[in-house]
Amino acid sequence: MLRFSLTLGVLALVAASPVAAEIARIKQSSGIALVERNAQRLKAAPGLQLLAGDRLVTGKDGRMSLTFIDNTRFAVGPNSQVSVSEFQYDRTRQKGSFVTKVDRGSLAIVSGRIAKSDRDAMKVRTPNSLLGVRGTKFIVAVPK
Amino acid sequence: MIRRGVAIAAAVLLSGCATSSLVLLPDDEGHQGAVAVLESGGAPTDAVIAEGNSRTKLGTKTPVAKPLGSNGLKKQEAALLTVLPPPAKSFLLYFEQGTTTLTPQSAMVLTSLRQEIASRSGPEVEVIGHTDTVGGEDDNDRLSMNRAEEVLTWLASQGFDRSMMSAVGRGERQLMQPTLDNVDNPANRRVEVIVR
Repeated sequence: MLRFSLTLGVLALVAASPVAAEIARIKQSSGIALVERNAQRLKAAPGLQLLAGDRLVTGKDGRMSLTFIDNTRFAVGPNSQVSVSEFQYDRTRQKGSFVTKVDRGSLAIVSGRIAKSDRDAMKVRTPNSLLGVRGTKFIVAVPK
Repeated sequence: MIRRGVAIAAAVLLSGCATSSLVLLPDDEGHQGAVAVLESGGAPTDAVIAEGNSRTKLGTKTPVAKPLGSNGLKKQEAALLTVLPPPAKSFLLYFEQGTTTLTPQSAMVLTSLRQEIASRSGPEVEVIGHTDTVGGEDDNDRLSMNRAEEVLTWLASQGFDRSMMSAVGRGERQLMQPTLDNVDNPANRRVEVIVR
């Protein structure tokens, strides 16, 4: 019965976004940590599946961490606004493109397979710069 | 000259609130990658930051990396790094020729696979089945999918929800050890399980 209702829940999620595919999953969160998707605001609970275009928002004490399907890992710090504006990944060929916008706050990134697949296949945009990620671990900070 | 200095200081103050920065670190295996600054302050640059443990102010015409020095990371930066999820972990399971039966050694790997998934918060499990080149391509597509399904079904029987898992079969298209057609090869008869 429990399984049945869980399945229904998943079906409802799928129905709400028929063409969208999972790109990442929330691992942990604390404080105010939300995922904005169009008009929806979802609590960034562990296991929540992200879609391309999602916006990660944290409050004063908020944090969240997530892992993408190409193995890229994110940690979002407090007072942040981060959008995954573009994410395409071919699991079979292990190639894709990935653009993240850091409008405010801080983001730690350990890049994954997309960054390795082609030069500057992974980019990070801040209000005053555009970065091409060439396989590494780094922090981008955008103070208010 | 003084006036000019003041003007610059004022500009820095005004935009100071929006000066983004980059801290570049070696990865967990100790390798040093790089970040290219493709645009800065609205203009293209060809700066490539490749110095590990460095800080770079972004938005200037020519971004330059400075060593973190003895102060190291700021407190909130160090705290942020501790929030990063653990790296993805991959398991390989091997099968008897033409079957969905695990080899005895691989059956023992299942325990550590289960523990790895159970230890993670919000886990995602990707199961990818493969075959060797014995048999036709269509049969091997089916067999590789059945192998992946076998592992997924076992994981589900251990209490992991199917919504966290996905299974695909890649037949004989991604050989671990390249061989001619119709070659019995134990290393190619495998399922890879990636735990994120």
